[in-house]
Amino acid sequence: MNGESSVRLSGVEKRFGDLVAVRSVDLDIAAGEFFSVIGPSGCGKTTTLRLIAGFERPTQGMIEIAGREVTGLPPYRRPVNTVFQSYALFPHLDVFENVAFGLREARVRRAELRRRVAEAISLAQLDGRERAKPRQLSGGQQQRVALARALVNRPEVLLLDEPLGALDLKLRKEMQVQLKDLQREVGVTFVYVTHDQEEAFSMSDRVAVMDHGLLEQVGRPEDVYRRPATPFVASFVGLANRLAGRLVGAAPGERYEVDLDHLGRRSAHGPPGLAAGAAVTVVVRPEDLRLAPATGPQGGPAAATVIDVAFLGAHRMVRLDAGALGQLVAIGQGQSTVVPDDKVVLSWADDDAWVVAAAAQP
Amino acid sequence: MSLRRHPVAGALALVVVGFLWIPILAVAVNSINQSSLMVSWGGATVHWYSLALHDPNVRTGLTTTIEIALGSTLVSLVIAVSGALWWRRAPARARAVYDAMVYARIILPEVVFATALFFLFLKARFPLGILAIIVGHSVWNSAYAAVIIQARLVGLDPAIEEAAADLGATPWRAFRRVTFAALLPAIIAGGLLTFTFSFDDVVTSYFLGGNSATPLPLVLFGMIRFRITPEINAIGVMVMLFTVTLMGVAVAASTLVGSVGRGRRDALAEFYGQ
Repeated sequence: MNGESSVRLSGVEKRFGDLVAVRSVDLDIAAGEFFSVIGPSGCGKTTTLRLIAGFERPTQGMIEIAGREVTGLPPYRRPVNTVFQSYALFPHLDVFENVAFGLREARVRRAELRRRVAEAISLAQLDGRERAKPRQLSGGQQQRVALARALVNRPEVLLLDEPLGALDLKLRKEMQVQLKDLQREVGVTFVYVTHDQEEAFSMSDRVAVMDHGLLEQVGRPEDVYRRPATPFVASFVGLANRLAGRLVGAAPGERYEVDLDHLGRRSAHGPPGLAAGAAVTVVVRPEDLRLAPATGPQGGPAAATVIDVAFLGAHRMVRLDAGALGQLVAIGQGQSTVVPDDKVVLSWADDDAWVVAAAAQP
Repeated sequence: MSLRRHPVAGALALVVVGFLWIPILAVAVNSINQSSLMVSWGGATVHWYSLALHDPNVRTGLTTTIEIALGSTLVSLVIAVSGALWWRRAPARARAVYDAMVYARIILPEVVFATALFFLFLKARFPLGILAIIVGHSVWNSAYAAVIIQARLVGLDPAIEEAAADLGATPWRAFRRVTFAALLPAIIAGGLLTFTFSFDDVVTSYFLGGNSATPLPLVLFGMIRFRITPEINAIGVMVMLFTVTLMGVAVAASTLVGSVGRGRRDALAEFYGQ
């Protein structure tokens, strides 16, 4: 990433008693970036956000915001603002006063305060609702008040903790677009926490995937999807067909030669540094899996039977029983001709296969 | 709600309303009745009011009552608010103990507390009087206030204090502008309730008043032991009006506090100032 650093975590660890919520996280988020942290619940993503906001102090490590160390600073001395999952609007104050709260704390002069609050309120499309109490607003409106209340302070970084979690699907999709537009408009660094990888992918410049307090991978959405660093990332991010095998060695063109169980030798791309002989998983995304009608004798290694076909609008998703390989999934427009119980032969281009080290089995 | 469609319920409701209101009406009517026997109408008068207002026993009784009610309300609110704030972050087991103590103070008979405190004060050589009554009233009043304030606190999102800190408020500012401000309607309601309860208490005051403190209810109690005079009716009406006015003020205050924040007043002042 070019540009100056907005948030930097160095070796940050957070323990709650025996529980390690976040372990040795190093992260560098650039100014103006839309950065998402995704992972299953309990993976440490919300704790990471709370560490940046200052609600939690790290057990170890250092946090910098806009080039200044803030590790020991309380939340009210940090140039960040948060949009809470529950919105946490002040129930006794109206929309105007909720939005004005931070500016009053900062002793902003009256004329400027009024101007900036009005600006934030119209940015959040809440004109005319200035005197409404939070409980008189819809969920979507409350969400926008929370956003305006945070952004009006012009923070270096805006932290968002599952801000769309309480909204229904349609409103969620609309707000995703609005949030992205807003971020482009105000140019503030967004750190966005969600368990919804699709949501993160559609909005973010970069994504961090966390599991068990560890950063599994950081990268552009496409990289994370096409080139997952670990089997966890491969399965958490989108649908993945995982084929077990053993690494034979490096092949020309930055590839590896892999001996796949039941399928034999194939080549696949992969991250550098995999050792020959290691147990690996080859990931083939559903849209890369091709189906052809089985013409020859039954029982070939890549033969499969169609279990069912689900209509997804633009695509169809085909669930397959591939015998010893287990259940596989294919998605695409060309799959529309198959029906349940059809016998098919599977194939994929070597360029679309990605190899990761298999998860260590306990 | 038609009396014709539900004749039994309707009749019952009428009886209940009758029992509630007819005595009150009788008190009000007799307070301006010239006939001191209170059995027939002898023409209107304000004599009994003037008598009551000039009765030195009634006057000192009223002052004593108000002193006690104010003192007990203040003590109860401080106990209830600080208790509620502790309760919010306390471990579940400690909370259960605290809750049990609150409910015990509401459920256990007042005479039990009053007797117990009487003996305690005697042993400790703590003088009976206004201070002793304030302590006695606060025993149960703080429990009522605690219930009301906790009910409001439970409805508050615990994240609002973090939100205030996030927006630049120091812990003290966050407490004042957010927690305390959001609790204010409940604090007003709780204060009003405790004031009223203290105002008309007989049992605790009787045990702990000694010779030095005789609040208004005890004055009235003493008066009817000798003879029933319309003066008592006049006092009853005045106390009633006072309580209703207090209620009205409290309701108005809590709506005002609810809808108008500090900033709104600022905004208005700004608007009219320009």
